[in-house]
This record gives sequence, C-alpha cells and structure tokens, in this order.
Amino acid sequence: MIEIRNVSKTFHTNGEIKAVDDVSLTVADGEIFGIVGYSGAGKSTLIRMVNQLERCDSGAIFVNGTDMTELKGEELRKKRRKIGMIFQHFDLLWSMSVLENIAFPLKLAGMPKEERFKKASDLAEKLGLKDKINDYPRSLSGGQKQRVAIARALVSDPDILLCDEATSALDPKTTDDILKLLADINKEYGLTILMITHQMETVQKICHRLAVMADGKVIEVGTVSKIFADPQNDLTKKLIQTVDTGLDVAKMAQELKEHYPEGHLLRLSFTQETSGKPLLYEIAKKLDISVNIVSANIKNTQFGPLGVMYIHIEKRVEIAAIISELTNQGVKVEVI
Amino acid sequence: MFSQFIDPFFETVYLTIVPLLFSVLFGSIIGTVIYVTGSRLILQSDKKIFRVINRVADALVNICRSIPYLILIVWLLPVTNFLTGSIIGTKAAVPALVVSATPFFARMVVIAFSEVDKGVIEASLALGGDLKDIIFNVLIRESKPALISSVAVTAINLVSYSAMAGAIGAGGLGFEAFQYGFARRNDELMFIATILIVIIVFAIQIVGDTLAHRTDKR
Repeated sequence: MIEIRNVSKTFHTNGEIKAVDDVSLTVADGEIFGIVGYSGAGKSTLIRMVNQLERCDSGAIFVNGTDMTELKGEELRKKRRKIGMIFQHFDLLWSMSVLENIAFPLKLAGMPKEERFKKASDLAEKLGLKDKINDYPRSLSGGQKQRVAIARALVSDPDILLCDEATSALDPKTTDDILKLLADINKEYGLTILMITHQMETVQKICHRLAVMADGKVIEVGTVSKIFADPQNDLTKKLIQTVDTGLDVAKMAQELKEHYPEGHLLRLSFTQETSGKPLLYEIAKKLDISVNIVSANIKNTQFGPLGVMYIHIEKRVEIAAIISELTNQGVKVEVI
Repeated sequence: MFSQFIDPFFETVYLTIVPLLFSVLFGSIIGTVIYVTGSRLILQSDKKIFRVINRVADALVNICRSIPYLILIVWLLPVTNFLTGSIIGTKAAVPALVVSATPFFARMVVIAFSEVDKGVIEASLALGGDLKDIIFNVLIRESKPALISSVAVTAINLVSYSAMAGAIGAGGLGFEAFQYGFARRNDELMFIATILIVIIVFAIQIVGDTLAHRTDKR
C-alpha cells in the first residue's frame, strides 16, 4: 500500500515553483492507480517522491508502512529495491546486454553472477525476450526495450511498480501490448502499480482508480468508471473528451443537430453496471417508442465496456420518462 | 644511422606511457570528483560543501591547464628533486608532464561523464544503486568509448609535450629532431625523427579508435 500524506515540494530554480502542493493519496494493495495531468502538473515530481528520487519538503509517504521520507543511505536503497520503476525513455544501460540489464538490480544488491543471470534469464523467457538476452539495447525496438525495462524492474520481486509515462514514447499498438503486459503482471503477482501519464486513454485501459492533477494539486480522485461517466472538474472533462470520440464533443453535437434537426438528441454515458444489459431495448419496449442510435463509442476497460452513445428519438415522444428511466439505471443523460 | 634513434625513441615512449598512467589515475579521480559534486541527482542532496569542493576542483583544473609547460617544469623543480632525486634527465621530466596532463584528462572525464544519459543514472538510483555503483557501473561503463578516446588524446598530447622536456635533458625524439637535426642542420635526421613521432601518434590514435569502437555498443 502506498499512502501519500500531505506532501509538498517547491523548486527554487528560476524563481519559486510549487511542483507538488499538499497532495494526499492512497493506493491500495494490488491496485493499478493512474495519475493524469498535463505536463507541468507535478505528477512526475510526485511519483519520484514515492521512491525518494525527489525529497519532500513536507508530508510523509508510507510504502507498506515504512515512511520513505525518514529513510537514508543503505536503508533507503534496500527499500528502493522493493519498488520497481520504469521510464518513458526506458533508460537501459546501452553498454550492457539485455541479460545484464535485467540482472543489474540484483548486481546492485550483491547477488552472485550465476544466480542473478539465472533469475534474469527465467524472467526474460517469461516476458518473451528469450532470444534477445545476448543482444544489446541498440538492436531492440521501443516495445522490446520497455519489456527489458519491465523485466529489470520486476527481477528483484518488488511490491510496487512505478511507471513514469511508460508508454508515451511508444506507438499505439506497442502501447497496448505493454499495457496488457502490465495488467497481466498486476493480476498474476498482485503487484501494486502506480503510473503517471498525460494520456487519459492509457488510464482508461488498465487503471482501477485515477487521480487528476493540475498545478501541483489533486483535483479529482475516483474509480475509472465513475470519473469517465461523471467527471466533476472541467479539466477532467477536457481530458476525457480527448478519449471519448477522438472528436470535439461540442462539434459532434453540432453535427448531429444539423443531421437531425427534428426530434430529440440525447448523449448517454454508460458505466460498467449498465453496459452489459440491453437497457435501451428494454426501455424502448416498456415505453413503446423507437430509439435510433446515431453514434456510439464503447471501449473495453478493466471493468468491461464503458462509453458514450448518442441517440435520436422522434419529436412526438415525451423524453422526460426516458431520461428518468435511464437515470434510474445509472446512465448519465444529457439533452443536446 | 638508425641506432641513434633507438634511445630517443624509447625516451619518448617512456615520457608518454609513465606520465599517462599517473595522469589517467589522478585525472579520473579529479574528474569524477568534479562531476559527482556538480550533480544534485547523484548526490541526492544540495549541501553547500559539495558545491565548494566542485568549484575549488574545477578552478584548480583550469589553473593547472593554463600554466605553460616550460614554466611548470621550472616551478616544479623542488618537487621533482624530492620525488625523483634529480632535476635533469628523462625521469625528472615526469612530474611536470603529469601535472600538465592530469587536469587535461580530468576535463575529458567530466565531458565523457556529462554525455551519460541522466535517465540511466536516475534509473540506477531507483533500482537501489549507491554512489560507488553509479561511478563504476554506470558512469565509467557507459562512457567507456569516450574515456578510451580521451586516453588516446592525452597520450598524443604527452608525445608533443615530451619534446619540450628536452629543456631539462629528458631526451626523446622531439629533442633529437631539434637539437641534432635543426640546430646542426642535419635535415635528414630531423626528418626521420619527425616521421617517427608521426608514426607514434598514428599508432596511438589507431589503437585508441579501435578500442573505443569495439566497446561502443550504442
């Protein structure tokens, strides 16, 4: 478990910048927790405080009960070995082969050569890197490099994995592969994962809960399904909209209105509790109306399908009943 | 004819290799101190004492690099006498050569270390590395090709400095070319001595380049 309590950090280079401002968060065991925000929001500083690559000015960070801010020297290094970390640019040592890179943390911990190479090659095999172990990072693709970095982070059997924009330098297909790998690791080992990203899509795909950060503060926290279905903050809405349709929501509404000048247009946001059911069909049957789905964007997440749907209903129909039916079922309805 | 080049040749080799060993040793230490004390990331602290050490070492390197080699020889006479028991001859040229090549190599070490990816240093710290690990497993390892090239460049510098060491009777090919070739108008001798120096320089460069290339896995 990671417990971040009221941490703050101010940088004094080029004037005063409050990078992290009184942040408190709790990440449960076995959870995948995402921190989202634009660059400069302070998420990078925050994640570095967890393993104390950045010291806090104030506050405390408990990792499985140990206050990281109190640790120094060898104690801190020992604890860091139980916190894996992967990075946007992979940060492998180019002078080492894949096997040596994976075994590197064990070398730092003083494990004998044969033992650490054995452990590293077993892990490499598990992550599909078996035929690459004697290669050097230069000959690997981005996705393979990140796999090696993941293996390196996992080789010392950490309790926690920190991901610093781990998929931001990868193409969409590779991103999905890496995210799937992280989700599998999370399930198989019950590994707690804390990730930061500026891509809402990444969070949507694998996180259980997320926090949105802006100007050093956490402005919204909740489960992915809840925040995606019902974002409170304007910034959160903005971040989600980039995922929803890949289109500007206002523009989408405008286009639909032009296309369907008559009748009612509704925007429905589904959460995991409702998406499995043939809800629209049931309501249409119950109220004896016809519903026309004009656009839908449903995505698969950790919790099953989530998404947004636009429906068109004929002018003569009274929509109040439909709205209340849908709202009762947990669907968020907006008239456009 | 060629027999007269044998001694100067080995004097030049001696005046290159012996000071090189000391310069690489001391220069690596000083360069590492400068780089590490200048890195907040590696130190994980911004204590004032480190900044002071950094400034002092940096200034020392600059000062030593600015003193002309001949002046250095004169200033170091007492030290040379103490260390080698003499102020003339091949051995006596070594301390001044070390003092002039060490800060040069130290600067090359700082430059080589600066090229190492900061992300890799950060990752190594995150994985539980300490200062010793960062220096030996990351900085030196990751900058090995650059360090090898720096050794080669420093060696070539020493070859040319050693010619000036003739002023205190150190001998060497450079002195041979000047004293017996140029001063006595023996053009042939001057030419051959110079060619031999060129061959030594080429040999150092080729060995350096080959080793640097072989260790470069980027």
